[in-house]
Amino acid sequence: MSHRKVSWYKMDNASVMYSSLQKEEYSAIYRFSAVMREKVQPDALQRAIDKVMPRFPGFRSRIRKGFFWYYFEPNKAPGPFLKEDVAEPCRPVRFNEDNNWLVRFYYYDRRISVEVFHAISDGAGTLVFMRCLLAQYLRETGVDIPCDCGIQNIEEKSTAEEWEDAYSKYAVKHCKAQHLIKRAYQNIGTPERFYTFNVTMGFMPVDKLKARAKSMGVSITDYLCGALMFVLIEKQRREHPIKEKPIALSVPVNLRAYFPTKTMRNFILTVQPWIDPSLGDYSFEEVVSIVHHYMRIHCSPNEMRAAFSRNVRFQKNKFLKLVPRIFKNPIMAISYKLKGTRPYSAIMTNPGIFKVPEEMEPYIEHMEVIQGQATVPRPHLASMSFGNIMEVTFSGTMKEAELEREFFRFLVRDGIPVHIESNRQRADLAEGVN
Amino acid sequence: MSYCVNCGVELGKDLKRCPLCGTVVLNPNDVDRESELPFFPQRRENIEPVSKRELALLLSVMFASVAICCGLLNLALRPEIRWWLYAAGAAAMLWIWFIPPLLWRGMPSLARLTLDIGAVALYVLLIALASGGIDWYMGLALPIIVALAVISLIICYLLRGGHRSILMSIVICLVGIGTMSVAIELILDVYISSQWNPGWSLIVLAVCLGFSMPLIIIRIVPSLREEARRRFHL
Repeated sequence: MSHRKVSWYKMDNASVMYSSLQKEEYSAIYRFSAVMREKVQPDALQRAIDKVMPRFPGFRSRIRKGFFWYYFEPNKAPGPFLKEDVAEPCRPVRFNEDNNWLVRFYYYDRRISVEVFHAISDGAGTLVFMRCLLAQYLRETGVDIPCDCGIQNIEEKSTAEEWEDAYSKYAVKHCKAQHLIKRAYQNIGTPERFYTFNVTMGFMPVDKLKARAKSMGVSITDYLCGALMFVLIEKQRREHPIKEKPIALSVPVNLRAYFPTKTMRNFILTVQPWIDPSLGDYSFEEVVSIVHHYMRIHCSPNEMRAAFSRNVRFQKNKFLKLVPRIFKNPIMAISYKLKGTRPYSAIMTNPGIFKVPEEMEPYIEHMEVIQGQATVPRPHLASMSFGNIMEVTFSGTMKEAELEREFFRFLVRDGIPVHIESNRQRADLAEGVN
Repeated sequence: MSYCVNCGVELGKDLKRCPLCGTVVLNPNDVDRESELPFFPQRRENIEPVSKRELALLLSVMFASVAICCGLLNLALRPEIRWWLYAAGAAAMLWIWFIPPLLWRGMPSLARLTLDIGAVALYVLLIALASGGIDWYMGLALPIIVALAVISLIICYLLRGGHRSILMSIVICLVGIGTMSVAIELILDVYISSQWNPGWSLIVLAVCLGFSMPLIIIRIVPSLREEARRRFHL
């Protein structure tokens, strides 16, 4: 990207979808936050943003509306500028506002937050950016941070490999759709009023979580997915449906682990661990075991490559290319409803451990991650860890807090101490006490 | 640091209630709670909903263009017949259907339905005036539209919120169809022969009620409801 002047570039497979779906009731924005040990210095942080942004040209882009597709264009507008944080994060992006920026920076007390529109990068790509930003911020405050542990040298120019479309690179002719159940339990609640976004965070010690997961022979992600599915099974049962529907999660998998690439654009695929409660009762251990084995079986390179190759083929279909964008958007919305919403009960994403050089560790207390609002009023789950603190976030536009309540209560019962923080502070929650 | 007595979770220092269950935090030892800086920022951005005025303006111009173009064409093509009135009336009706919902965010569905049916009534009136048929409009079209409006509004009112069961929703729709058929036959008979001679509409009503009664019984009696679920694999 840096070797030649790029005036525009095509979207990757995931970007096309997120851009088409963007609306007031859906936010493909996600947020990573670092809570520092000391109060944030806004001037130093703005200087760090100004120095780091040129190293990551993909984050300096804006979305333009073409006749047939959306496309990216370098954003030459001033900024992006650091802002004081707001009560309700991850508000939906509007392509023609805020100087067309698709990335936002906030600070509040000890917290540094970066919000990114999913069309420009996935969680793994943004974490590389976040790591560099924090390192540069600490340098601006007088701390010497080396360029290792994944921290890019901001003096160097970005390479074309960092902004390649890895989906197209690894797509093959032989493709096959993933086997998804068609309709899962929807877990939909009462929607909040316009622009109210509920966030509840649970903090827990990684060592205890790891020990509990290890006792069951699974990973922490499997354990959390299993716990979520278990409380969803119980929640559906309390609603006394005519027929119990399957419980299915959408779990994004970082494809970089299977297909080597340096790309910082989107390169993820979701897998769908699911369970059918209408077949009978499952113990928690059985649910976790099903999740564990499902993930091992279906996270195979061949299966995942066949799935994303199909999406790429759809994007490159000559007939579809000729359909104007205004007609494509409703088609994408229907497709997302059928393939991205109905087959799932919730999204559970775990970007994993946030690793930084030893020199940075004393300055960071913990990390946080928040997913934007879903197309329907139901909460998303996201988790990440730093040091010995695992942070789990429920975020959504659902008035009821039943799912997070049962999830965290379950963890407490299972021997995991949980500390809760939330922007929910309403008395009406008391109605749901049980 | 306080814990929720219901959930067993440790609560943030600034929380006055448990965010999971709403239980009030009462900890006499924790006197510094009020002075803590909130974990989440309190600043709210005042965000206006996206304005749909531009889209409304675009559609309005499109409808107006159609009406004006048809008017100009009418001057050249068959000027003895004022056919442009039909096109202009249709454009006006479409304007009433689509533009008010764009400008009035969260417009109640009952108000929208009333407005839509009112637009249909006006359009049919225009056709009647243009074709010199005010008699059939007053005697036939208007009563049918009013009957349709009243029954549709009642059905929408009863089904509002989507909280009715599937069985009761079907029953309400069936009774609505039956009543509508009776109303149409009544209006037709009065218009044609000035007296009501009930015929085909009673058969429709009887069929609708015939389907509705068992559904009501199934809805009311739990054992039958369970049996229906089992038989139909619901």
